[in-house]
Amino acid sequence: MDPAGVFATSFERDQALVRTRGQWIALALLLIALVVLPHVLGPRLVAISTNMLIMAVVVIGLQINMGYAGQINLGQAAFMGVGAYATGALAIKFNLPFWLSIPLGGCAAALFGFIFGLSAVRIKGFYLALTTIAAQTLFHFLILNLPQSWFGGSNGLTLEPAQIFGFSFVSDMSIYYLCLAVTAAMVFGAYGIVRSRHGRAFVAVCDDDVASGLMGINVVRTKATAFLIGAFYAGIGGGLWAYYVRFVAVDQFTLFHSIWFIAMVIVGGLGSITGALIGVFVIKAIQESFVTLGPSIVAQFPGLGGDVVFALMNVFLGGIIAAFLIFEPRGLMHRWNIMKRSYRLWPFPY
Amino acid sequence: MIDFINYLINGALVGLLYALIAMGFVVIYRASKVFNFAQGELVVFGGFIVWWMVASMGLPLWVGLPLAFVAAAIFGLLVERIFFSRLAGESVFAMVMVTIGLLILIRGLILVLFGPQVRSFPIIFPLQPVIIGDILIPRSLLVGGVITVIVGFGLSWFFNRTRAGLRMTAVAEDHQVALSMGISVKRSIAFAWVLGAVLSTLGAIIFLSGKSLNFLASDIGLAALPVALLAGFEAIAGVLLAAYLDPIVGGAIGTVFPFIIMLLILFIRPTGMFGWKTIERV
Repeated sequence: MDPAGVFATSFERDQALVRTRGQWIALALLLIALVVLPHVLGPRLVAISTNMLIMAVVVIGLQINMGYAGQINLGQAAFMGVGAYATGALAIKFNLPFWLSIPLGGCAAALFGFIFGLSAVRIKGFYLALTTIAAQTLFHFLILNLPQSWFGGSNGLTLEPAQIFGFSFVSDMSIYYLCLAVTAAMVFGAYGIVRSRHGRAFVAVCDDDVASGLMGINVVRTKATAFLIGAFYAGIGGGLWAYYVRFVAVDQFTLFHSIWFIAMVIVGGLGSITGALIGVFVIKAIQESFVTLGPSIVAQFPGLGGDVVFALMNVFLGGIIAAFLIFEPRGLMHRWNIMKRSYRLWPFPY
Repeated sequence: MIDFINYLINGALVGLLYALIAMGFVVIYRASKVFNFAQGELVVFGGFIVWWMVASMGLPLWVGLPLAFVAAAIFGLLVERIFFSRLAGESVFAMVMVTIGLLILIRGLILVLFGPQVRSFPIIFPLQPVIIGDILIPRSLLVGGVITVIVGFGLSWFFNRTRAGLRMTAVAEDHQVALSMGISVKRSIAFAWVLGAVLSTLGAIIFLSGKSLNFLASDIGLAALPVALLAGFEAIAGVLLAAYLDPIVGGAIGTVFPFIIMLLILFIRPTGMFGWKTIERV
């Protein structure tokens, strides 16, 4: 909803992503803040921010897949893993530069996801979600059992740092900027996708697939496309991850990671790209503050023990997912929109 | 030849164990149409309750086991009271997502209450195998198999023949219609979770008897999925048969094998062998 007195007078205005001068200013401030960030924060916080940026890419993919197209996906971590492994293998075996290996890794993940999305031809709903669990285990099985020379088996893959024009992304700060650039591009792309014909088809299929089928939307293709795009985003995130950690192992991409991604989408708000970003930030911030505060909590109450703090994090976050579904199923973004709306209408009730 | 027969019998019995775990899925699905992703966690939680009662508190088996079942039932009821009773009438999507939250929550709860250490589970069934001629059968599996068959047919009778069971079936079919027919959706879902938690505890006892227990044992929950799928999610007695037809799953050749079977089932016959033919394709 636009502020009072702002009306679109041309098609371009109506289509615009950034609609008012205030939004331009906010966007510019955010970008400046993100660019300045690593110079202000300590190394640990920079590492966390890089982590968040990578996860943001993956979770936006899940948001398109789950929030927009309504296809529950419990295999996003596997798709991310496929991207990471493909990127790593391409970089090691064929010496591809990162600006080629990351997109190719994304394509590999997209193909993998597309295959599972294709099962929408036969099945729908929660049965479709089950195939994505199968994707998760299949991914583990394949990586561990394919010849070791392909993907390193249980040893994992170790990568050289990303390089361009003789500059190599070794320092935390440089990799932060790489991730920031890629994430910004992917976020922009996601906004484009969800308001395009495909994005609207996703929403239609999510709302009612029978009705949208009758309206002439190819439902199966739409679902498969949603998986394709979601997995592509996961793959890009995986590629970034591969270059960030420079070590890819199969236990970085478990079903539990997929569930965390889902938690981020739910907390942020289903059906909103900004919501996905907020979800990543909130959940990751909580996680990290548990990790940071954990030792001091243990020091305060020696009876607790270090494991308990980590376990409490699980309890807390599991509780958060359930609480959001019960009390605010549309996530923080919806809450924010309500606030914005009441602020814009003030002092009138509606 | 003897090896083969041994393998076949053991495979079938392990399959029955998976069937028992799968029944936990099916019962909750049958009574509330919620696909419970936290099934494995329920099993482990049940296992830990039994461990706590019997090994840690030192209660004799005949006191500890019934108490464990009661505790599991209370836990199931609590889960329903805290989470699902507030969601009655909401979309099934939300409920299933809550079970994903539960998965994390219960895992954390187990870690908080019982810690991550590996515990040795009490020996409920004597360790020495039953020997018939040259055939060796682990006693826990044999007793467990018999219990599974009895429970399976009992539940099947309950859901298909009794008034209360049919009511729950109606709830699974459509919450709103069930409500307007005067059936309490909340009570039905509560009963489903109590039943699910108790069944999971039973599964844990048979699965874990004499083995070691920690929170990672929950993998069996997802590994039992293909059995439930093969049978079709609504068919309780069907689960028994599916487990027999599926000794490879029980034989546990690899962790991935059940899931490949699952994919095949989903593609070839998504309703399973005995499920209701309600899966639409658009």
